[in-house]
Amino acid sequence: MAYGYMGKVLEVNLSTNDINSYSLPEKTLDLYVGNKGLAVRLLYDLLTVGVDPLSEDNILIVTTAPLTGTGAPSSNRFNVTTKSPLTGAIGDSNCGGNFGVHLKRAGYDALIIKGKADDPVYLEVTDEGVTIKDARDMWGLNTEESQEALPEKAGKMVIGPAGENLVKYACIVSEERVAGRAGVGTVMGSKNLKAVVASGNLKPRIYNEELFKEAVREWRDILKSHPSTGEELPRYGTSIFINRTSATHTLPTRNFKHGQFKDAEKISGETLADKYLTKNIGCYGCPMRCGRQVEVDGKPVKGPEYETIGMMGSNLLMNDLQEISNWNRQADLLGLDTISLGNTLGFVMEAGEKGLIQTDLSFGRSDNISKAVEDIAYRRGLGDDMAEGVRYLSQKYGGEYFAMQVKGLEMAAYEPRSALGMGLGYAVANRGGCHLGAGYVVFLEANGPITVDPFTTKGKPGLAVFNQTVLEAISTLGSCNFTNYAVFPEQLIKMYNKSNVVSSVVNSSLTLSGNKVGKFMSRPKAILPKSVFQMAFPHIKAYSHLTGKEMSPVDFLKLGQRVFNMSRLFNAREGITGEEDTLPARLTDELQRQEEPRSRVPLSRMLPVYYRLRGWSKDGVPSNRTLKYLEIDK
Amino acid sequence: MGSKKTRNMWKAGIALVTVKLFATLRDHAGERELRLEAKNVGEVLNQLISKYGPDFQRQIDKAAVLVNGRNITHLKGKQTRLKEGDVVSLFPPLGGG
Repeated sequence: MAYGYMGKVLEVNLSTNDINSYSLPEKTLDLYVGNKGLAVRLLYDLLTVGVDPLSEDNILIVTTAPLTGTGAPSSNRFNVTTKSPLTGAIGDSNCGGNFGVHLKRAGYDALIIKGKADDPVYLEVTDEGVTIKDARDMWGLNTEESQEALPEKAGKMVIGPAGENLVKYACIVSEERVAGRAGVGTVMGSKNLKAVVASGNLKPRIYNEELFKEAVREWRDILKSHPSTGEELPRYGTSIFINRTSATHTLPTRNFKHGQFKDAEKISGETLADKYLTKNIGCYGCPMRCGRQVEVDGKPVKGPEYETIGMMGSNLLMNDLQEISNWNRQADLLGLDTISLGNTLGFVMEAGEKGLIQTDLSFGRSDNISKAVEDIAYRRGLGDDMAEGVRYLSQKYGGEYFAMQVKGLEMAAYEPRSALGMGLGYAVANRGGCHLGAGYVVFLEANGPITVDPFTTKGKPGLAVFNQTVLEAISTLGSCNFTNYAVFPEQLIKMYNKSNVVSSVVNSSLTLSGNKVGKFMSRPKAILPKSVFQMAFPHIKAYSHLTGKEMSPVDFLKLGQRVFNMSRLFNAREGITGEEDTLPARLTDELQRQEEPRSRVPLSRMLPVYYRLRGWSKDGVPSNRTLKYLEIDK
Repeated sequence: MGSKKTRNMWKAGIALVTVKLFATLRDHAGERELRLEAKNVGEVLNQLISKYGPDFQRQIDKAAVLVNGRNITHLKGKQTRLKEGDVVSLFPPLGGG
């Protein structure tokens, strides 16, 4: 009998109305665990190669993790994975809403959705049965109305009009959180699936209740006592990074023309907290509570995150937080990814300036944004083209130089010409221009408490591998990436700041040995005592006591490696290889600032090193040897 | 420029700089920006501690310090010399996205 897991996955075919449930082999669960790891393995196994992502042949997979719904802190996230209609590559998106918790209460670890319904439907999943229900009178509702139309005490995931109209970066909403990227909402819409609602009374079993509860308590204490997760994030939310990224020239400004915004203070986390915040909100079971509540039209609603403030703010030269909050609310209701949205608007503004596109959208002009957002969601006028994303727009109208996308996915709110390792990360991230898939290297270069020289390429390939490995493992275990902010203990930060000698040694070690660290990730060995490793990654202890399965530090690192390589393999099988590990020419060819001669991304220098550290061919494809080591079946 | 005070300061290597405090440092200090005269980063930090007390020292111990956007650990740490008009920014250990 399973511990942590509910022991079944649910498969629904909307073309045939077949509903099935079955168990997965234990080996699959041991190797891929849950969330994005399990999802990409299942998608690889079930999906035919070369399908049109918007056809009924695509598959949408929702996964949870063993830690989901057990009381482990910040570990209730669920994942939605599919073949992305925006990129043709793996499209996996994570969400802090409570749908996953309820899916497990209904008795399932995962939900696999195949086919396409003839008319709009929604899926009702309970521990007493699964039904496909008519959603024709829900079709057209925004995401809030959709959730309100469904039973109150249940987990829900819904799309809005943008998903229904197949906008290529439509998202899925659960509570007030979003599975934003890569068009997962678009695929849901292409299946005529408006919503999934889950409820039940089942609970995951715990292998060792006492030790698990103790591990959870310790973990919670770490998160609450660390300054990043216990003070700054709760007080200010994710947008606290705005002033920091602007100061370090890593805040996209004017469609990534610059990295610093003169009005950063006006759209900062500090200003948000002082002038607009009405309440903190948190994901289910998270002590950090980094979500913001603000007022829009006199109503308390979810406030904007860092990414939205960057992409709809500095990136468009907009400096009014109330307006940005309004647009955030509008995007949430329509079901649009705010990162791709802001990036697309920025592209159109610049293309308009250069006479490539006829538009009245322009940097700093805010009165016509709301209409543009609406036009995108309903594919009206230029909105029909804008709904396709910047790669399409630049191919149709020109402007590839400043189309800030990788593999078709619009880049997120970090400008990498002042954080060169982040540039490499963006180029190789599996789902495209994603800051998380990049390994979020910018944290080690510009906005974290311990930072290496942002303008060197030394060691950056290895640090990217290391970061990516850790974040993949954390995400696969079901936890929020923010749990990783507690990884540098406070004492280490103090030692680093106290002494020039210590900080110099740390910085040069990280750059000089960064590539060795990366190589080590590909073949990890036990060099740190398990207890030390577990302090940095309490996820391991919780997982082990929950499931009764041992997870060593080496297992943890191999898990991160395995998931990253599995996604890479999926992409390669779809014909997406190293040729698409690129960056827009603005970032590789143009200096961000004349006064900083190193402020552009020398991608071609870093890429071959990265591939070597990863154990990939010179075309960026995992070698058979690497796949064998990671026990990945082709 | 050209006043006796300025010329004397220039000779002594003392610069008038802007110090910016961010995130919870603002709560601890009760303000977000101030002007100070100092030769190097260390002197700025000492003056902040004198002004805001030992509790603020505990905050500074955890803070990243930037001079004109560059982290002092990539410059000369607390010995980093300052020039007129420099901006010294202090950030506590942040989490965000």
